[in-house]
This record gives sequence, structure tokens and C-alpha cells, in this order.
Amino acid sequence: MTREDLQSGFKPEIILLYCRRCVEEEADLFIAAKATSRFAAKLVMMPCTSKVEESHLLKLLAEGADGVQVVGCPYQQCQRLLGNLQAERRIEHARGYLREIGLGAERLGMERGLHFSGLQLLLLAEKRAHAVRPLGPNPMKGERIP
Amino acid sequence: MIIAEWKPLSELTAKLRGHKKILLVGCATCVAECAAGGEKEVETLAPLLRMALHKEGHPAEVVTRTLERQCEWEFVEELAPLIPQVDAVLSIACGIGIQAVAERYSEVPVYPGVNTTALAIREEPGLWLARCQACGDCGLGETFGICPVARCAKSLQNGPCGGTRKDGKCEVDENLECVWYQIVKRAEARGQLDKLLEFRPAKNWSNSLHGGPKRVLREDLRP
Amino acid sequence: MTERAGSRLERVLAAGHFAVTVEVGPPRGPNAAAVRRKAELLSGVADAYNVTDNQTAVVRMSSIAGARLLLEAGLEPVMQMTVRDRNRIALQSDLLGASALGIKNCLCLSGDHQQASASGKLNGHPGAKHVYDVDSIQLLAILKGLGEQVQESGDPIAEPARFFIGAAWSPLAPPEAFRVLRLAKKVAAGADFIQTQAVYDVPRFAAQVAKAREMGLCDQIAILAGIIVPRSARMLQYLNEKVPGVEVPEELIRRLRAAVNPASEGKMIAQELIEAVRVIPGIRGVHLQAIENEEVLPEIISAAELLPRPVLNIGA
Repeated sequence: MTREDLQSGFKPEIILLYCRRCVEEEADLFIAAKATSRFAAKLVMMPCTSKVEESHLLKLLAEGADGVQVVGCPYQQCQRLLGNLQAERRIEHARGYLREIGLGAERLGMERGLHFSGLQLLLLAEKRAHAVRPLGPNPMKGERIP
Repeated sequence: MIIAEWKPLSELTAKLRGHKKILLVGCATCVAECAAGGEKEVETLAPLLRMALHKEGHPAEVVTRTLERQCEWEFVEELAPLIPQVDAVLSIACGIGIQAVAERYSEVPVYPGVNTTALAIREEPGLWLARCQACGDCGLGETFGICPVARCAKSLQNGPCGGTRKDGKCEVDENLECVWYQIVKRAEARGQLDKLLEFRPAKNWSNSLHGGPKRVLREDLRP
Repeated sequence: MTERAGSRLERVLAAGHFAVTVEVGPPRGPNAAAVRRKAELLSGVADAYNVTDNQTAVVRMSSIAGARLLLEAGLEPVMQMTVRDRNRIALQSDLLGASALGIKNCLCLSGDHQQASASGKLNGHPGAKHVYDVDSIQLLAILKGLGEQVQESGDPIAEPARFFIGAAWSPLAPPEAFRVLRLAKKVAAGADFIQTQAVYDVPRFAAQVAKAREMGLCDQIAILAGIIVPRSARMLQYLNEKVPGVEVPEELIRRLRAAVNPASEGKMIAQELIEAVRVIPGIRGVHLQAIENEEVLPEIISAAELLPRPVLNIGA
């Protein structure tokens, strides 16, 4: 984090959507609620990343989230066979739109893995926070229509 | 089904700039099947439009609705309570649906959000191929059930031009089959290649757009 | 056979001569002098000169105007006409006009799709609306009708517009089994002569011609084998890979690649091809193209011992 970011006080708000099979059973998911000074994270569990639609991801961004991180199972380990691959394609497609409208494709991304602890999930959220930091705050934050 | 494709977002925002509340309306029939204008696409396009318009300095509220069939007056009527609350409509139904909304609610500007492109079939997930051109003079019985009007780049009637590639694809697009190659293969498989020897005279195009906008009247069905 | 239009090309073929036609592409501007220069360069080397109709869908001087300019320069044109840009009304109107201007040969083509116009360095007109009201075989029938004083619709015309009617044939394009049948359709629709896609694989070409002969087509129609003068191994490779219906044997490409002077080796190949197709029964002439390189044609035609061209008493 640069000095400027610190001074501007930009604290990215990241929404992390994770497949319930990616986390270890005993994971302490309340960890995310613990405030950090560098970013804020909100963790949302899903039955499978195949349930992620482009509309969900874009809506989260339109509502002001600075970044959205999707966490799915490794390749070929999706319980719904190709669910995580479908999710990846949709995310890539949505990233294309974000690029097109100039909001920044980096606001959206996907990570893979299994048996994540609560802390590890938080680190994945931080990874997205790091990626969106150069883009600055989402201009949709506190949108007001005149 | 009728297929359509989204217009570029920049073209949409250029039209919508300045409107404060926009009704984005989809159709749950053909354009939903071709993933251009169904509920899913409406709910995807709405946040995108909000973000794009905001980014361009023209923030607007976008309300959404997806009609069962935007080409039928009964369904179009469902928009009546919403229209007084908005100052523009963006429709992502086919050209028929867009016109139905524009005709019923002529007091608001209605913009097209898609380009309607063809009458097509979903060949496989994510791939749609044109099948019919509504030419008004169907000759499928003579071409082994494969339409050269809609599927040959030159709408040829008497066999393939010289542009069939070695692999049987069309010279105009390497991803498309030469449809006359397909017709010949099907004729060969039936042992009826000689049927294609018959000269097919110039088509009568007058039962399509070329004869003037189409109008079909059935007295037996009139009220 | 009764005379169709009395063109020089028709009479050369009727007299049993081995015919030679060459291609003259009109300029991309309104420059009549450019057409006259090409006419001067090629005068006397062929029996007739094909004037292309916006080939590759790139806008050029019209083939009617180009054909008329050749006539004025003393050369006989084969006016090419595609069905890409004109419906049956415009086609027939242009054909009547061409006939009035003294044009007697017409080659009926589908035409390159307008997408092709943007494949080179030019913008072209890929956004153009094409017509394809009729196809090339239906156009043959239209020409036949005009010669018999009847329009496509059945309406009569006062005087016949007589043409010696040409068609294209791409015998090696897939589906190969259908190509001879398509030739038969063209003959039945009214074609008098054929100019083929470029031939490099002589045995395969000869096999398709033999099939046409077995069907009796060669008695009804004069087939002129197409030959494109190769300039380099790269050009041959391009033709082989990118141009449907053109089959180039690997040994020809190797030969040109190994040549110290590919241009002169290419001329040699063209000359050998002329000699090879000449002995195929049913082949009645050659149609030569030297793309943007017409100045090599007189030398090749001369080397193939096809000069001087026969002198006919046309007025008779």
C-alpha cells in the first residue's frame, strides 16, 4: 500500500463469494468480520460457484462494492462437474463488460482451492483489494441520481 | 426462433444519456432462448447500464421488467402502470417486440437494445445458426430439407459456387459449412444426386418483403 | 449448330481453332487510357479479352464500359457479369445496353461475395447489401431468353439480344462428384462456352473433363482451360491453400521455390500447362490470366506456338 492510499483513506470493500466445499469444516468464518485497517471484506457462502450469474456479480458492483472475489474448487474437482468452469467463463465474460465501460476488469476475479481456513479466505479477499486499489474507489459508491 | 444480439454498450449509453429513469424491458420467448433479451440478460444489462451511465456522468435509475411475449398486445399491456414513472424505455426484445412497445406507449421514447439478426436454431449451447430467411417461396422439398436461401452466402439456387473450401466450408466464413456441400451430401446419401440436376428457375420473391411489407388476412379468424 | 451471336470467339471455336482468351481487369478509376494501354499491349495475342465485373467485389470501372473501350480499340471483349449487384431488371437492361454497344460475348458469374472486398489493403464495401435475385445458372437462362426475344418474365422484346454465352466451371472444388452435374446444368441452361478455374493439377482436371465428355457435354460446349501464370512459390502456395478449387501439386511449388529466376520459371510452367491441357480431348482453348502482370502474356502465348491468332472474315 502506498502512502497516498493511506492518506486518501481508500479502504476497498470486497465481497467474497465462496463455494462451501472450498473451506475446511472448522473454518472460523467470523474472522472476516474482524476489522482490518486496509480493507473490508464480506464473506458469502454459496452451494457451488456454478450458481454465480453475471447479473449477481454486476449488481454487487453497481451497488458500490469495490471488488468481488469468487472462490471455487480446483479444476476437475467441482461437485457439479463443470460448475466452476462455467463460473470462470461467466466471470471472464463479465470482466469484458467491465473493461468495455471503463470500470476496470480487475474489480472482479476468481481464485481456486480447497480446505481454506477463515484466514486464508480473508487473504484471498485482500488479494482482490490489492488488485482494485490502483483503480480507486468504485464510482458507484453512494450513487445519487439528480 | 428469432435471434438477436446486444448492441455495443457505448451505443446504448449514447442514446440513453440524459434520461433519469429508464425502463429496461425484456421478452421471455425467442430472445430469452438466444440469451440476448430474457430475464437473465435484463438483470445483467441493468447494472451494467447504471455503471456505464454513471461513469459517463449521466447517472440514471434503471427499472426492469421481462414480459412473457413482447410481441403480443395482452402482455405489452402489463407495462401500462410503469410507463408514467419513466422517461425512456430500452427494449431488448426482437424488432417486433420493440415496435409493439413503441406503438402502445408512443408517448415515451423506446430504444432498441439489440440488433435482430436472423431466424435461427440453437445448434449447441452457445452457438446459433441461421435457418430461414422468410423468403415466402419455400423450396425445402427440392433441396433435401436444407435452405440455401438462408444458409448460402449468395442464396444460390442451383448448386455451389466455386467457393467451397477443401474441407467443405464456405469461402466467406471458414466456420460455416458450404450449405450446397451439405445438400449434395444428403442427396448422395439418399442415392438421389440426379434430383439436383433439375434446373430451378429464378425465384418468386414477391411473397416476402420484396412484394411489399407482409400482410396476412384470414377472414375465418376475424372478430 | 446455328450461330449464336457471331462473335469472333464463337467463330474461332466453330472453325476448330484452339482458342485463346486473356483477362483484362478494368482500372479502379475512370481512366479510359489505362484500358487502351492494356489493349495495345495485348492486341493480337488472343481471340477475346475478358473484362472483369468488379472482381473480389472491389469497385472498378464497369465491365460494360471496359468492354466497349476494348471494342473501340479493335479487341473483342468477353463481358463478365455477376449476379451479386443487380437484380433481373438491371441485369437484362444492362445486357440490352451491352448488346446495343456491340458486345457479343458474356460470361455469367455468381461473383465474389462483398466480404472479399475488405480482404486486401482496401476498405472495400463489406457492408454492402448484395442482390442475388438470380444465380449464375439462372442468368445463363436469361441470356438465352434474350437471344430468343423473350425476357425472364415471358414478355417479348422487339429484337433479339444475341450473346455467345459463357459460364465458369471449377471442376476440382468440392463436392467433386457434383461439379460435372453442375456443368451439365449450365449447358442445359444455355451456356455455349466455359472458362475454368485455374488448372495446375492436369491429371485430376483431365479426369473431370473425361466425365463431362462421357456425358456428352463436350459436344455441346467449348471448354477453355483456365491458367494463371505463377510468379513465385508463395503465390502458388497461396492459390493452393486459399483459393477454393485450385489444386497445386507440391512438385510445382518445389520447382518454383528452387528456381533461380522464379518469374521466368513461372512463364515456363504456364507454357507447359498450355501444352498439357491442349491435348486433353474436349479442351478447345485456354483462358490465361497474369494477375497485375499482363505484359508477360504475349511471350507465353508465342512460346506455346499459339501465335499468330487466326484471321477470320468476321463481316461474312
